[in-house]
Amino acid sequence: MPTAARRESGRTIIDIPKQPNLSRLCDERSGRLRAAMAGSGVDALVLLVNGNVSYATGASWPLSDAGRANIERPVAVVTAGDPMPHLFARLPEEMVAELPLGAEHLHEPVYLEFDEGVEKFVKILADLVPANATLAVDDLTGAMHRSRRELFREWPPRAASDVLGAARLIKTPDELATIRHALWINEQAMAEVQAALAPGVRQTDLTGLFVRRVFELGALANGLDPIWQVMPDRRGDLPWTVHGDIPCPLLTTERELASGDVLWVDTGILYGGYHSDFGRTWIVGQEASPRQQEQYHRWREISDAATNILRAGVTGADLTAAAMAVCDGRRSWMPHFYLGHSLGLDAAEMPFIGTDLGDEFDAQFVFKEGMVLVIEPIVWDEGYSGYRSENVFAVTDDGCINLSDYPYDPYGGSAVTEKSHGH
Amino acid sequence: MATEVLPDERALRFGRRERALAAMQEHDLDALVLGRPANVRYVAGVPLLWNAGARPFGPGCVLLRSGEIYLLTTWDEGVPEEIPHDHLYGITWNPMNLVTVLQQIGAEYQPRRVGTDALSPLFAKLLPTAFANAEIVDGEPALRQARMVKTDDEVAAIRVAIDVAEAGLAVAVGALRPGASRRDLAGLFMEAIAALGVTTPATQNVVRMTSRRPGAGGDRIEAADLVTFDAGVVAGGYTGEVSRTYLAGDANGHAARVQNLYQRWDGLWARLLDACQPGASGAALLAAYEAAGEELPAEPVARGLGLGLDEPVVLRDLPATAAAQRLDPGTVLYLTGRVADPEVGEVIGSEAVLITPTGPEVLTSSPFWHL
Repeated sequence: MPTAARRESGRTIIDIPKQPNLSRLCDERSGRLRAAMAGSGVDALVLLVNGNVSYATGASWPLSDAGRANIERPVAVVTAGDPMPHLFARLPEEMVAELPLGAEHLHEPVYLEFDEGVEKFVKILADLVPANATLAVDDLTGAMHRSRRELFREWPPRAASDVLGAARLIKTPDELATIRHALWINEQAMAEVQAALAPGVRQTDLTGLFVRRVFELGALANGLDPIWQVMPDRRGDLPWTVHGDIPCPLLTTERELASGDVLWVDTGILYGGYHSDFGRTWIVGQEASPRQQEQYHRWREISDAATNILRAGVTGADLTAAAMAVCDGRRSWMPHFYLGHSLGLDAAEMPFIGTDLGDEFDAQFVFKEGMVLVIEPIVWDEGYSGYRSENVFAVTDDGCINLSDYPYDPYGGSAVTEKSHGH
Repeated sequence: MATEVLPDERALRFGRRERALAAMQEHDLDALVLGRPANVRYVAGVPLLWNAGARPFGPGCVLLRSGEIYLLTTWDEGVPEEIPHDHLYGITWNPMNLVTVLQQIGAEYQPRRVGTDALSPLFAKLLPTAFANAEIVDGEPALRQARMVKTDDEVAAIRVAIDVAEAGLAVAVGALRPGASRRDLAGLFMEAIAALGVTTPATQNVVRMTSRRPGAGGDRIEAADLVTFDAGVVAGGYTGEVSRTYLAGDANGHAARVQNLYQRWDGLWARLLDACQPGASGAALLAAYEAAGEELPAEPVARGLGLGLDEPVVLRDLPATAAAQRLDPGTVLYLTGRVADPEVGEVIGSEAVLITPTGPEVLTSSPFWHL
């Protein structure tokens, strides 16, 4: 197990560039995707899931509400015989200009929500994909379900998510740089929100300030309706849950914040198609009490227990065991979530560690260099509320790099950023 | 928006559910397994956490022909009283645990035909194991049919959303000037709707230039740019949208051309609105462009406003679909007029239009640019 000292002196072989290089990023992703296709014996992919389309084509766009997004949903077709993917989409002009795709690979949208759109797509696909090819798809609209005989030789069709999942697990240095920039935008905006935190401010006001700032700072889009959950002292003052544990995240309203409110905040934005994830606990208008400081230190102990051993070669079960070892064997994370999850072109993606996928999943999941893990344990102190934060780590051969860079104020006793375990 | 997370009003919930159940009857569906946020909201009436973008399929809600609802949620905040705690199933990362939940529902109700609103290869494989004796079919047409015609309560909810979108638009337009940044204007729009208690946009591509100058796709707006604002919000689940095109600064000697473009938009709009007669076909909207001598845009000429992807959807590349769509009373259209000039750009304006038994009612009222 690497020691902290070794980790500080050690050299990481992941050299995250300051600025992501889009063309290199696309090339490397394409290489990973094609290797995954070959590895799973898939000749062609039909992709509808936003993150998968981005991965395969390099395209990113300001995501809209799900309803509108379904009509305009970009679609990608990747074939083993063509080094370039086909993209069917109408994207903002400036985003098309950045794409490493020629005109023969950039097409008008296909409207797979409608029979007429699927009919046309069947013909397009016949031209692009050999009839005997093994085809995989990641999602199916109702119209595709209805036309399954025309679209697929086998039913159910092969799952493209397996192929994409394998490719997307390990991030390239440019992907990590993009995630880090997304985090930077998120954190800059949150610093201004935290400065505006005061009694009488509404939760929705915090959202307004946050979203305005992330757009000004160059975010592609906001990723989720920001969470500013007021945590009561007692579990019983929160809504009922199926598991009896804490509900989180609860939705934002126009509730006015009061002095002393403990907020569990959770926000995420998109940059270059990649998601950030930000989680901290804030206190409205007050310093942290000694008891609250103690909660933070308990949280820190759990988080550090996991991240101190996080490196290539450890399993998910190693992490859960380490976190539980400092909690008398208890699982100090939300039972409907995880001790940790990855992020990338989705806000939460594989691996999910410490979930109902089960101990066996955790035990067989081995971390590799270039993987990303968001660690998010919680501490609940019944009668005195609780503490939750999250940080995003990139896994290296000899440790991990904290890509998050935000202080824990008003917890932790100092305003200095604690950039734990970085190289 | 209030200071509490509440279910949708009872009348709204029950009015919608009645339509969904009638559509299930008509489409011979015993159960619907729904994943799309719009459909889950429609039948369950529970506010959901907003995430940007399209969502892959996953069973978020089961509606049975009896009207009983099972819902994917770990807590009961915002869950209406008619959905009891033992009908809630928590967030899961393990599809097999979802299958177990669905199996229990299947064992209890023995559905013969189960409809889904989308599907994935994984659930195409798993659902037959959950509903052993059932045929798994596409249930989305039933939902689209139910959702297309709005109840009065739904129209009221759409009006509320439109009010917020128009207020946000006014703030963003107020800051338009040569040198302004598209990103900053988008940020102002987002902040303005949040000030009104609405934190979820319908679109995040708020400001675009259609000018033909080089660099018009960039962030910086220049004098004489035609700037289109797409102001859309999701309030109480319902989409309210409005679109307007403004000229930044003065027309740099193109005043007459710009003026002419707006006049052409007026002419096109008169024909579009005239085509919005109850019972008319969606094809009439495409024909309005032709009659006005305007080229059809690639973007939808009309799409439904509601909780998500609502019909009718009328666009150039789906002419047969357009012809099959009917503008029934109670449908709400987001109707777009677009006219282009090869030198100065495009004027795009979109309005929300309610089809009433006696004709169209325009729900949006934002001002238009004028010299």
